[in-house]
Amino acid sequence: MMIMKLKIVVLSVFFATCCISCSNVKTEISGAGATFPLPYYNMVFKDFSDTTGINVAYGGIGSGGGIRSLKDGIVDFAATDAFLSKAEEAEIAKSVIHVPTCLGAVVVAYNVPEISSLRLSADVLADIFLGVITKWNDGRIVETNPDIVLPDLNITVIYRSDGSGTTNVFTDYLSKISDRWRAEIGAAKSVSFPVGVAAKGNPGVAGIIGQTAGAIGYVGSEYAFARKIAFASLQNKAGKFVKPSTASISAAASANIPADSKIMITNSAAEEAYPISCFTWIVIYREQNYAKRSPEQAQATVKLLNFILSNEAQSKAANVHYAPLPENVRCNALKSLKSVTYNGKAIE
Amino acid sequence: MKDKVVKILTFIAAVIILIICGGMVYSLVTGAVPAFEKFGVDFIFKKDWQYTPDNEQYGALPFIVGTLITAFLAVIISFPFSMAVSLFVGEYFKDTKVAAFLGTATELLAGIPSIVYGLWGFYVLRPIMVGMGLSEQGFGIMTSSVVLAIMIIPYAASLSSEFIRMVPNDIKEGAYSLGATKYEVVFHVILPAAASGISSSYILSLGRALGETMAVTMLIGNTNTLPTSLTDTANTMASIIANQFGEAAGLKLSALIAIGLLLFLITALINFIAKMIIKKYAI
Amino acid sequence: MNKLKYRSWKNKFGVFIICFFSLLTAIPLFAIIIKVFVKGIRQINFDFFTKTTPDTFDAMLAVNNGEVIPGGVANGIVGTLLMVLMAAVVAVPPGILCGIYLSENKKGRFSSIVRFVSDILQGTPSIVIGIVVYAFIVVPMKGYSAVAGAISLAIMMLPLIVRSTEESLNMLPSSLKEAGLALGASYSSVVFKVLLPSAFGGIFTGILLAVSRVIGETAPLMLTALGSSMVQWNVLRPSSSISLLIWECYNDPNMQSMIWSASLFLLFVVLLLNFIAKRISLKWRM
Repeated sequence: MMIMKLKIVVLSVFFATCCISCSNVKTEISGAGATFPLPYYNMVFKDFSDTTGINVAYGGIGSGGGIRSLKDGIVDFAATDAFLSKAEEAEIAKSVIHVPTCLGAVVVAYNVPEISSLRLSADVLADIFLGVITKWNDGRIVETNPDIVLPDLNITVIYRSDGSGTTNVFTDYLSKISDRWRAEIGAAKSVSFPVGVAAKGNPGVAGIIGQTAGAIGYVGSEYAFARKIAFASLQNKAGKFVKPSTASISAAASANIPADSKIMITNSAAEEAYPISCFTWIVIYREQNYAKRSPEQAQATVKLLNFILSNEAQSKAANVHYAPLPENVRCNALKSLKSVTYNGKAIE
Repeated sequence: MKDKVVKILTFIAAVIILIICGGMVYSLVTGAVPAFEKFGVDFIFKKDWQYTPDNEQYGALPFIVGTLITAFLAVIISFPFSMAVSLFVGEYFKDTKVAAFLGTATELLAGIPSIVYGLWGFYVLRPIMVGMGLSEQGFGIMTSSVVLAIMIIPYAASLSSEFIRMVPNDIKEGAYSLGATKYEVVFHVILPAAASGISSSYILSLGRALGETMAVTMLIGNTNTLPTSLTDTANTMASIIANQFGEAAGLKLSALIAIGLLLFLITALINFIAKMIIKKYAI
Repeated sequence: MNKLKYRSWKNKFGVFIICFFSLLTAIPLFAIIIKVFVKGIRQINFDFFTKTTPDTFDAMLAVNNGEVIPGGVANGIVGTLLMVLMAAVVAVPPGILCGIYLSENKKGRFSSIVRFVSDILQGTPSIVIGIVVYAFIVVPMKGYSAVAGAISLAIMMLPLIVRSTEESLNMLPSSLKEAGLALGASYSSVVFKVLLPSAFGGIFTGILLAVSRVIGETAPLMLTALGSSMVQWNVLRPSSSISLLIWECYNDPNMQSMIWSASLFLLFVVLLLNFIAKRISLKWRM
């Protein structure tokens, strides 16, 4: 009897909650996708919610999951670190636009006792990850670091076990600078690394690097900067050794960027550019009337994107160790937002 | 009249479980079809898991082996401990404060999220493994099996202790009155009486071990190859699905769902065999 | 050796072994619980329960200054509460009823199949359950929601409840049921007023274990409830949960200490449920 009574009480509370909450008419947006820009998005979404009162629910389930959700029409926007190829866009059937939101980078973190700065040239980096160079005091590493003494220590490569945009960007760079890498391993969100130990997520990779002398791996810039992990300077296409920083990441985007911003900016030719930089995008449908969405929903979505592209939000990117979009990219993105429609009419 | 209603309701409840399972199988099968179309039944036995953009080779064998080894190892490792705790709490020190304390602490273990187990294993167990010279990095089947064993202790221990406690007093008293020692009562009267419940609790904990994802994926090393020894790194089915699902598409997605389906079937097979064995040795 | 002495020795040895292994079990048990406590207690303050998760910038500033991270996990607490409650409401009645059915119909093809299926369900990884619920509920509903999350949790709870109910009822001596029926009580009265209360200990343990398990689950909720940075009372919208927050904090470089405090909170909840369960089962125990 008591159980019955308890159940009735519980059920009524539940229904009451449902009823109360269903009467809440505040517009809310939901999005899913990449984990790479998560810290920046969390900050921007919170600011947006404080300013406009519109809640944004975002789940970092991975770019693939985000695109799937968009395809199924269950979210207002998807976030991805890899822009959709023509084939993938064809699968979605309806037209989508890519809105770049900020710049990030992949840094090469390492743990070699007493070595606080390291310069790696492109082919050396590739050969380390290919397993060709196996010791820290290898002649080729010493060549680019004449003023430090490298120990006779084995190199342990650490890579991501989970599919990730970070891996995609990193392998994209390696494919551009090493023919062997491009032929044998290729660039993707998850590849078969020839040597090394796998770890889950940025914290996994950073954790192992921190605990293993001689380890080297790739980590998202926001993570590396926040945790103050030692990372290497890489030699860019112009021949300079560049450390990743807000300035050098933005420099990578200064070259010719197409209007739809669908380009991988790794191995940029700009002189001050950090070679493993990347855009990250939010993808939305061009025609916002899908899955019976209300015009308010569409308006809120476009408002959010305009907010992210605003100077106010962009200037905050550096606070969390991302880089703001260069001005021309930002303007192009704002322009493309104007082409978003609801039932064929442009949204205010 | 009320009886009929109750009987129908219980029947419907049983059917609901079947419907849920049916829905799962349907969902998995439709998702897995492309992978099986491309690779055929060989998918189960192939051991490559490579992907260069133009050549995708997916095979499930390394994960199947990894899953089976870790799960069984975990149950074997946890067996003496969970058995001891369930006897401690259910019989030997029944209704004492110590037993209540131990029992509650064991149940608390079930409430720890698997991420925390993974982190604990990463920061505490890994160095121990490296220190014992068992493994270079501390990852591998051994490490993840140990953590898995700790994770599944509550399921077997709590449920078994309840069943042991529920053995009716009269058969115990009957044995004592015949001059049996406590040990003999436990092993010849209590355990056989509670055998059905105890074995089903171990099957439940085996199920938990087969499906555990997070803690395993943080400690197993994630190499997609067949392990050759207990200290090798490997990968399990649940772990590869969890790692790759967020970013997968196309054939890869289908391969992952196919692995999910295989896990389902393998769990069924193991359960079937386990029940056969138990039936054979049942009193 | 005298047969009696041997048996007596075996007896003492048995006690020793039991105590030894129980002690050994207690070691990692307490090691983990203490570690979670030590690392997590610092972060728990009033804000923890009332504020939502901070953004990473504020967290970073706090970490750099050695302060406690501002904000809390209110959105996670509300989400977990709603989803676990809904999951329990959805899973417990059918679970118990199914357990009754299996116990009353021990033999028979249908029962064996249901038992079998229930055990397979237990072995399914949580992410696969998430994938299936995504396909059947999230997509038709055209949105992530706490309801979908609750349903995936309910599916995970079912096998434990079903099997523990069934086995607990099986442990009862048949004389109990026969006595009830002999006194003229109807079948349903015997089941609900005699059998279930007697088996309460086992049933409640099953429910408790089931709730403890799902309270910490992340993977299925990622695909069904998505997550939210605000407190969300509307169950038809995406919602956060403590387990999801733990995952987000794991991936965020500045919020590591939140992981431990959130886990500590979960431990408190499980402990609380434990106490409630013990109190109720004591009341019911004959």
